[in-house]
Amino acid sequence: MANVLWLQGGACSGNTMSFLNAEEPTVVELITDFGLNILWHPTTGLQIGDQVQDLLKDIIAGKVQMDILVYEGSLIQGPNNTGSMNFFADRPMMEWVKELSKVAGYVVAIGDCATWGGIPAVPPNPSESTGLQFHKKKKGGFLGANYVSKGGLPVINIPGCPAHPDWITQILVAISVGRIGDVKIDDYHRPKTFFTDFVQTGCTNVVNFAQKVDGGFGKRGNGCLFYEVGCRGPMTRASCNNILWNRQSSKTRANHPCLGCTEPGFPHHDLKKGSIFKTMKYVGGFPMEVPTGRNRVAYYLEAGFQKIMPTNHRVQEGSK
Amino acid sequence: MSVKELNISPVGRVEGDLDVKVYIDNGKVTRAHTQAAMFRGFEKIMEGKDPQSGLIVTPRICGICGGSHLYCASSALDTAWGTKLTPNALLLRAIGQASETLQSIPRWYYAIFATDLANKKFADKPLYKEVVKRWAAYVGETFQTGLTASALPVQIYALFGGQWPHSSYMVPGGVMCAPTLKDITRAHAILAQFKNDWLEPVWLGCSIERYMEIKTWDDMLAWVDENESQRNSDLGLFIRAGLEFGLDKFGQGVGKFLATGTYLHKDMYNNPTIEGRNAALISSSGFFDGENYHEFDHLKVSEHVKHSWFNNQADGLHPWDEPLPTPAQSSTLEHTNFDGQYSWAKAPRYDGHAAEAGPLARVVMNANPNNKEHQIRDPLFGDIIKKLGPSVFTRVLARVHEAPRIYKFIEQWLSEIDLDGEFYTKPVEKDGKGFGATEAARGALAHWIEIKNGVIKNYQVMAPTTWNVGPQDGNDNPGPIETALLGTTIEDPLDPVEVGIVARSFDSCLVCTVHAHDAQSGVELSRFKL
Repeated sequence: MANVLWLQGGACSGNTMSFLNAEEPTVVELITDFGLNILWHPTTGLQIGDQVQDLLKDIIAGKVQMDILVYEGSLIQGPNNTGSMNFFADRPMMEWVKELSKVAGYVVAIGDCATWGGIPAVPPNPSESTGLQFHKKKKGGFLGANYVSKGGLPVINIPGCPAHPDWITQILVAISVGRIGDVKIDDYHRPKTFFTDFVQTGCTNVVNFAQKVDGGFGKRGNGCLFYEVGCRGPMTRASCNNILWNRQSSKTRANHPCLGCTEPGFPHHDLKKGSIFKTMKYVGGFPMEVPTGRNRVAYYLEAGFQKIMPTNHRVQEGSK
Repeated sequence: MSVKELNISPVGRVEGDLDVKVYIDNGKVTRAHTQAAMFRGFEKIMEGKDPQSGLIVTPRICGICGGSHLYCASSALDTAWGTKLTPNALLLRAIGQASETLQSIPRWYYAIFATDLANKKFADKPLYKEVVKRWAAYVGETFQTGLTASALPVQIYALFGGQWPHSSYMVPGGVMCAPTLKDITRAHAILAQFKNDWLEPVWLGCSIERYMEIKTWDDMLAWVDENESQRNSDLGLFIRAGLEFGLDKFGQGVGKFLATGTYLHKDMYNNPTIEGRNAALISSSGFFDGENYHEFDHLKVSEHVKHSWFNNQADGLHPWDEPLPTPAQSSTLEHTNFDGQYSWAKAPRYDGHAAEAGPLARVVMNANPNNKEHQIRDPLFGDIIKKLGPSVFTRVLARVHEAPRIYKFIEQWLSEIDLDGEFYTKPVEKDGKGFGATEAARGALAHWIEIKNGVIKNYQVMAPTTWNVGPQDGNDNPGPIETALLGTTIEDPLDPVEVGIVARSFDSCLVCTVHAHDAQSGVELSRFKL
């Protein structure tokens, strides 16, 4: 049994939509079988207006226990740190979050906007958006580097744009079944159980990555998307290709370059010219970024060797 | 009874932040103001960035309509760059758009709309017990079935786009994917599952084909009474309960409709141009002024900002001529002066008129007698608009009416994909202006782009919610939801569910708040989230 309050700040509701796609458990099963009690949610909550404001006040006053605060969307602080670009229930949202975070058992940031600012925080950051405990790669964010919830943990970050429904439901289940002590978080506060392997793990293009056979849009045959169209699978920690999306596929399996959305700093390079669906390269064709953990020179040598191997060619997948 | 002012903050179960202020006289709304309460500045973020930024950024404006934003963003670049689109590319984009909309029908109906019918306001109605049993949030018998089934259509989206929400698989020149036979067969199987789990047994109580024979309002009523299965289906119950609860009696709106249309025909838009777009649409575009149909021309679209929190901008500019937003100081609903700026939404106008966007606008265009052979020709809502007029009921009926047709479209388009054909033609990047549009589940969506020196100079997005929830224009004429609230009877100012029902019938895409005030004393009566 756990009481959950879900709020949205500078949000697109994409994480809520992703959450509603959940299976095993579905959202309804989370409530009926796992004893999750959703105190309020912007998309499904029945209370309105004063009823919501009273609930928030009761939580802050300690009259209603809030075991988990789920926050989706960026913390909007603009203009000039007033937060008035995002009023909610008659106050700047950031004021509600400040007070609610003091009484929360655990705080879970869902999606890139809540974790580290996401797209709203791309310069010039017109809404002065930031994440709950990070701003891009820098620890701090809205609640500050030293924040810990009543349960003794900093903000638990479930990044992704959006987060996968399994990451959301399983962290809620972990808290509600008393497994939170087993959740270990990394330097960016991500649960290691979901964010240790790379997106490349389980990618159907991995053989072509090793042999440096390039793919591209509209082409069959699982050519690798790393060299030409900016795939970030080797630099991005997430279980997308292990658990799949919507139980069917993943970006890279559908010939869509990984955008690196579970790493702080997404969208990477702040959308600068030449960074969208193109691999950023140095003169001579060397990719600016190499797979995480690889020695740059060793990687270039090995990749260059594979590139000139005449035996490497795309294994053509038939259309039928 | 005196005039009262009602402030409702927040108004839940819409996506995004909306506050509404209504003035109540003798139990009826006499004035209403809608306030969009959140600003992120996505258009400003894209200035000076890579021309393809919209493919990544705009789907993330709205997690519900992400595929629709992608459809617009790729189309805007297609027209700016003069790309080539293969039939396969057009089919796969249409399938993505259609599956996102199909998902939204049960998800919106059960999670956002129908739970309001379980409100105590309707407790004395004979069908109330049955409505609660089926549609009460989380515990209703078909609430769970519908919500679970809503995840199926976007599995099809994921087969071609990798994931839903937030894929960027539609790119200028086509699509990223190159599906194989197994992807097509899998998509067919998932679609059939959706039909078998929900669409036919739970929603219609009959075959898709039988439902699609309905051509007039009388046909529809006869269909309800034809047999027990149809009468007791969720759609049958909605029609009976909707009429019994009086949903056809309020929420009329401006009576003018705008659709940008969608589903570009696979053989008619291979060389994308702005001029060639209307003729290539399968679901037609247009403006209906209440009596006559007019051809849609994007140059007749303009935005007003007199009552919006943006500075340094003239009223009535076409999106290409609009500056990027300069935010003004906002205020809470209670402290807002409604003679001045009061919303983060702009006020779009078509040829000077406020117009309703959404599924009702779409099905009204589908009834246009001038529609061509390749376009949807469905007279039903031409008849319903004449007989019943717009209302909460008509709006909801329009929304759910589309499910069987979209189902058939996806089935047909899947079968038309040529596995030996091409999916992508690499475009040549250049400077210029572009326009892309579609119909998101909740209505007309359009993007305008200007590229200069290889980067984005201007990007303007006009969403269906902007059309519907926008404030007054430069001449102080109210927007569609503001108008639709007029005349609404508020039975209990402490629980003004009627305001929520009207706003939710538009499926607004921002989190809404309504405040109720006594208009004479100014004392706040209640507030709630739509």
